[in-house]
Amino acid sequence: MRLRHFQTGWIMTAKELLRHRIAFLLFFIIPTLFYAVIFLVTTHRQIAFKLASISESAFLTVSQRNEALIFIGLAAVGILTSFLALNLTQKHAVENRRLVLCGFHTSEILLSKFGVLLCVIVGVGCYVGAMLPLLFSPRRFPLVLAGFMMGGYVYGCYGMLIGAIFKRELEGILFIVLLANFDVGWLQNPIYYAEAQNKAIIRYLPGYFPSQLSMVSAFTGHSIVQPLLGSLAYGTVLLIGAMLIFGWRMRIRK
Amino acid sequence: MNPENVLEVLHVAKSFGRHPVLKNVTLCIQPGQIVGITGENGAGKSTLLKIIVGWISPDSGQVIKKVATGYCPQDLSIFETLTIEENFAYFGAAYGLGNGNLPGSWKAKKEWLLKRFRFETYEKTLVSHLSGGTKQKLNFSLAVLHSPLLLILDEPYSGFDWETYVHFWDYAEEMKSNGAGILIVSHFVYDRSKFDAVFELKGGILQCA
Repeated sequence: MRLRHFQTGWIMTAKELLRHRIAFLLFFIIPTLFYAVIFLVTTHRQIAFKLASISESAFLTVSQRNEALIFIGLAAVGILTSFLALNLTQKHAVENRRLVLCGFHTSEILLSKFGVLLCVIVGVGCYVGAMLPLLFSPRRFPLVLAGFMMGGYVYGCYGMLIGAIFKRELEGILFIVLLANFDVGWLQNPIYYAEAQNKAIIRYLPGYFPSQLSMVSAFTGHSIVQPLLGSLAYGTVLLIGAMLIFGWRMRIRK
Repeated sequence: MNPENVLEVLHVAKSFGRHPVLKNVTLCIQPGQIVGITGENGAGKSTLLKIIVGWISPDSGQVIKKVATGYCPQDLSIFETLTIEENFAYFGAAYGLGNGNLPGSWKAKKEWLLKRFRFETYEKTLVSHLSGGTKQKLNFSLAVLHSPLLLILDEPYSGFDWETYVHFWDYAEEMKSNGAGILIVSHFVYDRSKFDAVFELKGGILQCA
Protein backbone atom coordinates (compact mmCIF):
# COMPACT_ATOMS: atom_id res chain seq x y z
CA MET A 1 0.00 0.00 0.00
CA ARG A 2 1.69 3.17 -1.21
CA LEU A 3 0.52 6.41 0.37
CA ARG A 4 0.83 8.42 -2.87
CA HIS A 5 -1.35 5.95 -4.76
CA PHE A 6 -3.97 5.97 -2.02
CA GLN A 7 -3.86 9.76 -1.75
CA THR A 8 -4.14 10.32 -5.52
CA GLY A 9 -6.95 7.79 -5.81
CA TRP A 10 -8.80 9.40 -2.91
CA ILE A 11 -8.47 12.91 -4.34
CA MET A 12 -9.62 11.87 -7.82
CA THR A 13 -12.57 9.85 -6.49
CA ALA A 14 -13.62 12.74 -4.26
CA LYS A 15 -13.38 15.22 -7.16
CA GLU A 16 -15.55 12.98 -9.34
CA LEU A 17 -18.13 12.61 -6.59
CA LEU A 18 -18.30 16.34 -5.90
CA ARG A 19 -18.90 16.98 -9.61
CA HIS A 20 -22.15 14.97 -9.37
CA ARG A 21 -23.83 17.89 -7.68
CA ILE A 22 -27.40 16.68 -7.91
CA ALA A 23 -26.56 13.23 -6.55
CA PHE A 24 -24.60 14.89 -3.78
CA LEU A 25 -27.54 17.13 -2.91
CA LEU A 26 -29.84 14.10 -2.78
CA PHE A 27 -27.69 12.67 0.00
CA PHE A 28 -29.03 15.47 2.16
CA ILE A 29 -32.50 15.83 0.71
CA ILE A 30 -33.54 12.15 0.92
CA PRO A 31 -33.04 11.72 4.71
CA THR A 32 -34.84 15.01 5.29
CA LEU A 33 -37.79 13.74 3.28
CA PHE A 34 -37.75 10.43 5.15
CA TYR A 35 -37.88 12.26 8.47
CA ALA A 36 -40.63 14.60 7.23
CA VAL A 37 -42.83 11.69 6.16
CA ILE A 38 -42.32 9.89 9.49
CA PHE A 39 -43.07 13.09 11.36
CA LEU A 40 -46.31 13.52 9.43
CA VAL A 41 -47.60 9.96 9.62
CA THR A 42 -46.72 8.93 13.20
CA THR A 43 -48.11 9.94 16.58
CA HIS A 44 -46.78 9.96 20.12
CA ARG A 45 -48.78 6.85 20.97
CA GLN A 46 -46.72 4.71 23.36
CA ILE A 47 -45.58 1.36 21.98
CA ALA A 48 -43.85 -1.52 23.75
CA PHE A 49 -41.14 -3.66 22.17
CA LYS A 50 -38.16 -5.84 23.02
CA LEU A 51 -34.58 -5.04 22.12
CA ALA A 52 -32.75 -8.20 21.20
CA SER A 53 -29.33 -7.19 22.40
CA ILE A 54 -30.31 -6.30 25.96
CA SER A 55 -32.78 -8.89 27.18
CA GLU A 56 -35.36 -11.21 25.72
CA SER A 57 -37.76 -10.37 28.51
CA ALA A 58 -37.29 -6.62 28.98
CA PHE A 59 -39.89 -4.48 27.27
CA LEU A 60 -39.31 -0.85 26.42
CA THR A 61 -42.18 1.58 26.15
CA VAL A 62 -41.44 4.57 23.94
CA SER A 63 -43.17 7.00 21.59
CA GLN A 64 -44.03 5.48 18.23
CA ARG A 65 -42.69 8.59 16.48
CA ASN A 66 -39.35 8.50 18.31
CA GLU A 67 -38.87 4.82 17.55
CA ALA A 68 -39.74 5.37 13.88
CA LEU A 69 -37.38 8.36 13.60
CA ILE A 70 -34.41 6.27 14.78
CA PHE A 71 -35.41 3.42 12.52
CA ILE A 72 -35.87 5.57 9.39
CA GLY A 73 -32.68 7.55 10.06
CA LEU A 74 -30.68 4.34 10.10
CA ALA A 75 -32.47 3.06 6.99
CA ALA A 76 -31.68 6.31 5.14
CA VAL A 77 -27.96 6.15 5.99
CA GLY A 78 -27.74 2.44 5.12
CA ILE A 79 -29.53 2.69 1.79
CA LEU A 80 -27.68 5.82 0.63
CA THR A 81 -24.23 4.53 1.51
CA SER A 82 -24.82 1.12 -0.04
CA PHE A 83 -25.89 2.71 -3.34
CA LEU A 84 -22.89 5.04 -3.32
CA ALA A 85 -20.54 2.15 -2.53
CA LEU A 86 -22.03 0.13 -5.38
CA ASN A 87 -21.52 3.02 -7.78
CA LEU A 88 -17.95 3.68 -6.64
CA THR A 89 -16.98 0.04 -6.99
CA GLN A 90 -18.62 -0.66 -10.35
CA LYS A 91 -17.81 2.61 -12.08
CA HIS A 92 -14.66 2.89 -14.24
CA ALA A 93 -13.94 -0.85 -14.31
CA VAL A 94 -11.91 -0.52 -17.53
CA GLU A 95 -10.09 2.65 -16.44
CA ASN A 96 -9.28 1.11 -13.07
CA ARG A 97 -7.88 -1.95 -14.77
CA ARG A 98 -5.68 0.30 -16.88
CA LEU A 99 -4.45 1.94 -13.68
CA VAL A 100 -3.57 -1.52 -12.34
CA LEU A 101 -1.69 -2.20 -15.56
CA CYS A 102 0.20 1.08 -15.06
CA GLY A 103 1.23 0.35 -11.48
CA PHE A 104 -1.64 0.67 -9.03
CA HIS A 105 -2.46 -2.27 -6.78
CA THR A 106 -6.12 -3.29 -6.76
CA SER A 107 -6.28 -2.77 -2.99
CA GLU A 108 -5.03 0.82 -3.42
CA ILE A 109 -7.83 1.55 -5.85
CA LEU A 110 -10.56 0.01 -3.71
CA LEU A 111 -9.26 1.48 -0.43
CA SER A 112 -9.06 4.96 -1.94
CA LYS A 113 -12.72 4.64 -2.92
CA PHE A 114 -13.46 3.29 0.54
CA GLY A 115 -11.70 6.33 2.01
CA VAL A 116 -14.10 8.62 0.16
CA LEU A 117 -17.02 6.41 1.19
CA LEU A 118 -15.98 6.71 4.86
CA CYS A 119 -16.03 10.51 4.57
CA VAL A 120 -19.53 10.37 3.10
CA ILE A 121 -20.64 7.94 5.84
CA VAL A 122 -19.40 10.34 8.53
CA GLY A 123 -20.98 13.31 6.73
CA VAL A 124 -24.36 11.70 6.08
CA GLY A 125 -24.37 9.96 9.49
CA CYS A 126 -23.73 13.26 11.25
CA TYR A 127 -26.27 15.13 9.13
CA VAL A 128 -29.01 12.53 9.61
CA GLY A 129 -28.21 12.24 13.30
CA ALA A 130 -27.99 16.00 13.80
CA MET A 131 -31.61 16.40 12.71
CA LEU A 132 -32.83 14.11 15.52
CA PRO A 133 -32.53 16.59 18.41
CA LEU A 134 -34.84 18.89 16.45
CA LEU A 135 -37.52 16.20 16.66
CA PHE A 136 -36.82 14.48 20.00
CA SER A 137 -34.01 14.01 22.54
CA PRO A 138 -32.31 10.62 22.33
CA ARG A 139 -30.93 9.44 25.66
CA ARG A 140 -27.31 9.15 24.44
CA PHE A 141 -27.10 11.27 21.33
CA PRO A 142 -23.38 10.72 20.44
CA LEU A 143 -23.90 6.97 20.50
CA VAL A 144 -26.96 7.26 18.25
CA LEU A 145 -24.68 9.08 15.80
CA ALA A 146 -22.22 6.21 16.15
CA GLY A 147 -25.06 3.79 15.39
CA PHE A 148 -25.94 5.66 12.20
CA MET A 149 -22.31 5.67 11.13
CA MET A 150 -22.04 1.96 11.82
CA GLY A 151 -25.15 1.46 9.68
CA GLY A 152 -23.38 3.38 6.91
CA TYR A 153 -20.20 1.38 7.44
CA VAL A 154 -21.86 -2.05 7.30
CA TYR A 155 -24.12 -1.18 4.37
CA GLY A 156 -21.30 0.68 2.57
CA CYS A 157 -19.15 -2.43 2.78
CA TYR A 158 -22.11 -4.52 1.60
CA GLY A 159 -22.48 -2.18 -1.41
CA MET A 160 -18.77 -2.61 -2.19
CA LEU A 161 -19.09 -6.37 -2.01
CA ILE A 162 -22.07 -6.36 -4.37
CA GLY A 163 -20.22 -3.94 -6.68
CA ALA A 164 -17.22 -6.26 -6.74
CA ILE A 165 -19.36 -9.33 -7.48
CA PHE A 166 -21.61 -7.91 -10.21
CA LYS A 167 -20.31 -6.13 -13.29
CA ARG A 168 -23.62 -4.59 -14.24
CA GLU A 169 -25.53 -1.95 -12.37
CA LEU A 170 -28.98 -3.54 -12.57
CA GLU A 171 -28.04 -6.73 -10.72
CA GLY A 172 -26.24 -4.68 -8.10
CA ILE A 173 -29.19 -2.35 -7.56
CA LEU A 174 -31.59 -5.28 -7.26
CA PHE A 175 -29.44 -6.96 -4.63
CA ILE A 176 -29.15 -3.77 -2.63
CA VAL A 177 -32.83 -2.89 -2.86
CA LEU A 178 -33.78 -6.45 -1.96
CA LEU A 179 -31.67 -6.67 1.18
CA ALA A 180 -32.05 -3.07 2.31
CA ASN A 181 -35.82 -3.27 2.03
CA PHE A 182 -35.98 -6.50 3.98
CA ASP A 183 -33.37 -5.64 6.52
CA VAL A 184 -33.12 -1.97 7.53
CA GLY A 185 -36.42 -1.18 5.85
CA TRP A 186 -38.45 -3.77 7.71
CA LEU A 187 -37.07 -6.64 9.81
CA GLN A 188 -34.74 -4.60 12.02
CA ASN A 189 -37.61 -2.48 13.24
CA PRO A 190 -37.99 -3.70 16.85
CA ILE A 191 -41.76 -3.77 16.44
CA TYR A 192 -41.45 -6.55 13.89
CA TYR A 193 -38.51 -8.16 15.63
CA ALA A 194 -40.37 -8.53 18.94
CA GLU A 195 -43.00 -10.78 17.40
CA ALA A 196 -40.80 -12.58 14.86
CA GLN A 197 -40.78 -16.38 14.85
CA ASN A 198 -37.24 -16.93 13.55
CA LYS A 199 -35.22 -14.24 15.21
CA ALA A 200 -31.93 -15.88 14.29
CA ILE A 201 -32.47 -14.90 10.65
CA ILE A 202 -32.84 -11.25 11.64
CA ARG A 203 -29.74 -11.39 13.82
CA TYR A 204 -27.56 -12.48 10.91
CA LEU A 205 -28.65 -9.65 8.63
CA PRO A 206 -26.25 -6.68 8.20
CA GLY A 207 -28.59 -4.14 9.77
CA TYR A 208 -28.90 -5.99 13.08
CA PHE A 209 -25.92 -4.63 15.02
CA PRO A 210 -26.19 -1.00 13.84
CA SER A 211 -29.93 -0.88 14.55
CA GLN A 212 -29.42 -2.37 18.01
CA LEU A 213 -26.66 0.15 18.65
CA SER A 214 -28.92 3.05 17.64
CA MET A 215 -31.98 1.83 19.53
CA VAL A 216 -30.11 0.89 22.72
CA SER A 217 -28.35 4.27 22.70
CA ALA A 218 -31.52 6.25 21.97
CA PHE A 219 -33.77 4.66 24.58
CA THR A 220 -31.68 2.90 27.24
CA GLY A 221 -28.51 3.20 29.27
CA HIS A 222 -27.36 -0.35 28.53
CA SER A 223 -23.91 -1.26 27.22
CA ILE A 224 -23.35 -0.79 23.48
CA VAL A 225 -20.07 -2.73 23.32
CA GLN A 226 -21.55 -5.84 21.71
CA PRO A 227 -23.48 -4.09 18.92
CA LEU A 228 -20.58 -1.69 18.29
CA LEU A 229 -18.02 -4.48 17.95
CA GLY A 230 -20.51 -6.59 16.01
CA SER A 231 -21.04 -3.75 13.51
CA LEU A 232 -17.30 -3.25 13.06
CA ALA A 233 -16.68 -6.97 12.60
CA TYR A 234 -19.59 -7.45 10.19
CA GLY A 235 -18.56 -4.51 8.00
CA THR A 236 -14.90 -5.51 8.03
CA VAL A 237 -15.70 -9.05 6.88
CA LEU A 238 -17.77 -7.64 4.00
CA LEU A 239 -14.96 -5.21 3.10
CA ILE A 240 -12.36 -7.98 3.06
CA GLY A 241 -14.66 -10.02 0.81
CA ALA A 242 -15.06 -7.01 -1.50
CA MET A 243 -11.28 -6.52 -1.68
CA LEU A 244 -10.62 -10.16 -2.49
CA ILE A 245 -13.22 -10.31 -5.26
CA PHE A 246 -12.28 -6.88 -6.65
CA GLY A 247 -8.61 -7.90 -6.68
CA TRP A 248 -9.44 -11.15 -8.45
CA ARG A 249 -11.53 -9.40 -11.11
CA MET A 250 -8.92 -6.70 -11.73
CA ARG A 251 -5.91 -9.00 -11.72
CA ILE A 252 -3.21 -8.56 -14.36
CA ARG A 253 -0.71 -11.16 -15.55
CA LYS A 254 2.67 -9.50 -15.00
CA MET B 1 14.68 -16.48 -25.99
CA ASN B 2 16.64 -13.72 -27.69
CA PRO B 3 18.05 -11.27 -25.13
CA GLU B 4 17.70 -8.43 -27.64
CA ASN B 5 13.93 -8.70 -27.97
CA VAL B 6 11.75 -6.31 -25.97
CA LEU B 7 8.72 -8.53 -26.51
CA GLU B 8 8.36 -12.24 -27.15
CA VAL B 9 5.02 -13.92 -27.74
CA LEU B 10 5.60 -17.65 -27.87
CA HIS B 11 3.05 -20.17 -29.15
CA VAL B 12 0.05 -18.35 -27.72
CA ALA B 13 -3.38 -19.94 -28.17
CA LYS B 14 -6.74 -18.71 -26.99
CA SER B 15 -10.29 -19.97 -27.44
CA PHE B 16 -13.61 -18.55 -26.29
CA GLY B 17 -15.82 -21.56 -25.69
CA ARG B 18 -15.37 -23.81 -28.71
CA HIS B 19 -14.29 -20.94 -30.93
CA PRO B 20 -10.51 -20.76 -31.33
CA VAL B 21 -9.40 -17.15 -31.74
CA LEU B 22 -5.61 -17.51 -31.63
CA LYS B 23 -3.69 -20.62 -32.71
CA ASN B 24 -0.02 -20.92 -31.87
CA VAL B 25 0.80 -17.24 -32.38
CA THR B 26 4.47 -16.36 -32.14
CA LEU B 27 5.84 -12.83 -32.45
CA CYS B 28 9.03 -11.05 -31.44
CA ILE B 29 9.82 -7.35 -31.41
CA GLN B 30 13.30 -5.91 -31.16
CA PRO B 31 14.29 -2.44 -29.94
CA GLY B 32 13.79 0.16 -32.66
CA GLN B 33 11.26 -1.91 -34.55
CA ILE B 34 7.73 -0.92 -35.56
CA VAL B 35 5.55 -3.95 -36.17
CA GLY B 36 1.99 -3.85 -37.49
CA ILE B 37 -0.79 -6.41 -37.17
CA THR B 38 -3.84 -6.17 -39.38
CA GLY B 39 -6.87 -8.35 -39.79
CA GLU B 40 -10.59 -8.32 -40.29
CA ASN B 41 -13.06 -7.42 -37.57
CA GLY B 42 -13.17 -10.24 -35.03
CA ALA B 43 -9.89 -11.74 -36.21
CA GLY B 44 -8.53 -11.65 -32.66
CA LYS B 45 -6.22 -8.63 -32.87
CA SER B 46 -7.45 -6.98 -29.70
CA THR B 47 -7.51 -10.35 -27.93
CA LEU B 48 -3.84 -10.82 -28.81
CA LEU B 49 -2.98 -7.38 -27.46
CA LYS B 50 -4.95 -7.98 -24.26
CA ILE B 51 -3.00 -11.20 -23.76
CA ILE B 52 0.28 -9.36 -24.39
CA VAL B 53 -0.48 -6.68 -21.80
CA GLY B 54 -1.87 -9.19 -19.29
CA TRP B 55 -5.57 -8.28 -19.31
CA ILE B 56 -6.54 -11.81 -20.25
CA SER B 57 -4.73 -15.11 -19.91
CA PRO B 58 -3.83 -17.32 -22.88
CA ASP B 59 -4.94 -20.95 -22.84
CA SER B 60 -1.36 -21.89 -23.65
CA GLY B 61 1.87 -20.18 -24.61
CA GLN B 62 3.95 -17.47 -23.04
CA VAL B 63 4.44 -13.70 -23.20
CA ILE B 64 7.76 -12.17 -22.14
CA LYS B 65 8.12 -8.40 -21.77
CA LYS B 66 11.51 -7.16 -20.70
CA VAL B 67 11.05 -3.40 -20.57
CA ALA B 68 8.57 -0.81 -19.33
CA THR B 69 5.39 -1.14 -21.39
CA GLY B 70 2.87 1.43 -22.53
CA TYR B 71 -0.56 0.31 -23.69
CA CYS B 72 -3.15 2.33 -25.56
CA PRO B 73 -6.43 0.38 -25.67
CA GLN B 74 -8.82 0.66 -28.58
CA ASP B 75 -11.73 1.76 -26.38
CA LEU B 76 -11.08 4.99 -24.55
CA SER B 77 -9.88 4.18 -21.04
CA ILE B 78 -9.79 7.61 -19.51
CA PHE B 79 -11.71 9.20 -16.66
CA GLU B 80 -14.53 11.22 -18.22
CA THR B 81 -15.41 13.16 -15.06
CA LEU B 82 -11.84 14.33 -14.52
CA THR B 83 -9.95 17.00 -16.45
CA ILE B 84 -7.09 16.22 -18.81
CA GLU B 85 -4.63 17.42 -16.18
CA GLU B 86 -6.20 15.22 -13.51
CA ASN B 87 -6.00 12.20 -15.81
CA PHE B 88 -2.28 12.90 -16.26
CA ALA B 89 -1.87 13.22 -12.49
CA TYR B 90 -3.68 9.92 -11.87
CA PHE B 91 -1.65 7.95 -14.38
CA GLY B 92 1.54 9.79 -13.42
CA ALA B 93 1.07 8.48 -9.88
CA ALA B 94 0.37 4.99 -11.26
CA TYR B 95 3.66 5.02 -13.19
CA GLY B 96 5.47 6.33 -10.11
CA LEU B 97 6.61 9.51 -11.89
CA GLY B 98 7.77 12.50 -9.82
CA ASN B 99 5.37 15.22 -8.76
CA GLY B 100 7.53 18.31 -9.31
CA ASN B 101 8.34 20.22 -12.48
CA LEU B 102 11.73 18.60 -13.01
CA PRO B 103 12.47 16.62 -16.20
CA GLY B 104 11.09 13.12 -15.75
CA SER B 105 8.12 14.27 -13.69
CA TRP B 106 4.61 13.69 -14.98
CA LYS B 107 4.03 17.44 -15.13
CA ALA B 108 7.02 18.02 -17.40
CA LYS B 109 6.00 15.16 -19.69
CA LYS B 110 2.39 16.35 -19.66
CA GLU B 111 3.42 19.85 -20.82
CA TRP B 112 5.50 18.32 -23.57
CA LEU B 113 2.75 15.95 -24.76
CA LEU B 114 0.06 18.65 -24.65
CA LYS B 115 2.18 20.88 -26.89
CA ARG B 116 3.34 18.07 -29.12
CA PHE B 117 -0.19 16.90 -29.87
CA ARG B 118 -1.67 20.39 -29.67
CA PHE B 119 -4.32 20.03 -27.02
CA GLU B 120 -2.84 22.25 -24.31
CA THR B 121 -5.84 24.62 -24.43
CA TYR B 122 -8.03 21.84 -22.99
CA GLU B 123 -5.76 21.02 -20.06
CA LYS B 124 -8.31 22.10 -17.44
CA THR B 125 -11.35 20.85 -19.35
CA LEU B 126 -13.40 17.87 -18.24
CA VAL B 127 -12.82 14.93 -20.57
CA SER B 128 -16.57 14.47 -21.02
CA HIS B 129 -16.64 17.89 -22.74
CA LEU B 130 -13.94 17.02 -25.28
CA SER B 131 -14.25 15.89 -28.89
CA GLY B 132 -13.56 12.25 -29.79
CA GLY B 133 -10.24 13.15 -31.39
CA THR B 134 -8.98 15.03 -28.33
CA LYS B 135 -10.03 12.14 -26.10
CA GLN B 136 -8.01 9.82 -28.34
CA LYS B 137 -4.99 12.12 -28.01
CA LEU B 138 -5.30 11.83 -24.24
CA ASN B 139 -5.79 8.07 -24.44
CA PHE B 140 -2.56 7.80 -26.42
CA SER B 141 -0.63 10.33 -24.32
CA LEU B 142 -1.36 8.37 -21.13
CA ALA B 143 0.25 5.31 -22.72
CA VAL B 144 3.54 7.16 -23.39
CA LEU B 145 3.62 9.32 -20.24
CA HIS B 146 6.37 7.20 -18.67
CA SER B 147 8.46 6.96 -21.87
CA PRO B 148 8.10 3.18 -22.28
CA LEU B 149 10.51 1.11 -24.31
CA LEU B 150 7.69 -1.14 -25.52
CA LEU B 151 4.58 0.52 -26.86
CA ILE B 152 1.47 -1.49 -27.65
CA LEU B 153 -1.21 0.42 -29.55
CA ASP B 154 -4.68 -0.81 -30.47
CA GLU B 155 -6.15 1.30 -33.29
CA PRO B 156 -4.24 4.34 -31.98
CA TYR B 157 -5.05 6.86 -34.69
CA SER B 158 -8.71 6.03 -35.34
CA GLY B 159 -9.94 9.46 -34.14
CA PHE B 160 -6.98 11.57 -35.27
CA ASP B 161 -7.22 14.31 -37.85
CA TRP B 162 -4.54 14.34 -40.57
CA GLU B 163 -2.19 16.71 -38.77
CA THR B 164 -2.32 14.70 -35.56
CA TYR B 165 -1.80 11.53 -37.58
CA VAL B 166 1.40 13.05 -39.00
CA HIS B 167 2.51 14.13 -35.49
CA PHE B 168 1.78 10.64 -34.24
CA TRP B 169 4.11 9.08 -36.81
CA ASP B 170 6.83 11.66 -36.15
CA TYR B 171 6.64 10.74 -32.48
CA ALA B 172 6.66 7.01 -33.26
CA GLU B 173 9.79 7.51 -35.38
CA GLU B 174 11.44 9.36 -32.49
CA MET B 175 10.60 6.57 -30.08
CA LYS B 176 11.92 4.07 -32.56
CA SER B 177 15.21 5.92 -32.90
CA ASN B 178 15.44 5.98 -29.09
CA GLY B 179 15.29 2.19 -29.07
CA ALA B 180 11.63 1.57 -28.33
CA GLY B 181 9.77 -1.34 -29.89
CA ILE B 182 6.26 -0.50 -31.12
CA LEU B 183 3.41 -2.85 -31.90
CA ILE B 184 0.46 -1.32 -33.74
CA VAL B 185 -2.80 -3.11 -34.38
CA SER B 186 -5.16 -1.66 -36.97
CA HIS B 187 -7.84 -2.69 -39.42
CA PHE B 188 -5.87 -1.01 -42.14
CA VAL B 189 -2.18 -0.30 -42.53
CA TYR B 190 -2.21 2.88 -44.59
CA ASP B 191 1.51 3.41 -45.02
CA ARG B 192 3.53 0.22 -45.01
CA SER B 193 6.81 2.06 -45.42
CA LYS B 194 6.54 3.19 -41.80
CA PHE B 195 6.55 -0.40 -40.53
CA ASP B 196 9.50 -2.74 -40.25
CA ALA B 197 7.17 -5.72 -40.50
CA VAL B 198 3.45 -6.19 -41.04
CA PHE B 199 1.52 -9.35 -40.16
CA GLU B 200 -2.02 -10.35 -40.84
CA LEU B 201 -4.06 -12.25 -38.28
CA LYS B 202 -6.28 -14.65 -40.17
CA GLY B 203 -8.01 -17.76 -38.91
CA GLY B 204 -6.17 -17.38 -35.61
CA ILE B 205 -2.78 -17.58 -37.31
CA LEU B 206 -0.30 -14.74 -37.70
CA GLN B 207 1.13 -14.60 -41.20
CA CYS B 208 3.25 -12.17 -43.19
CA ALA B 209 1.05 -9.62 -44.94
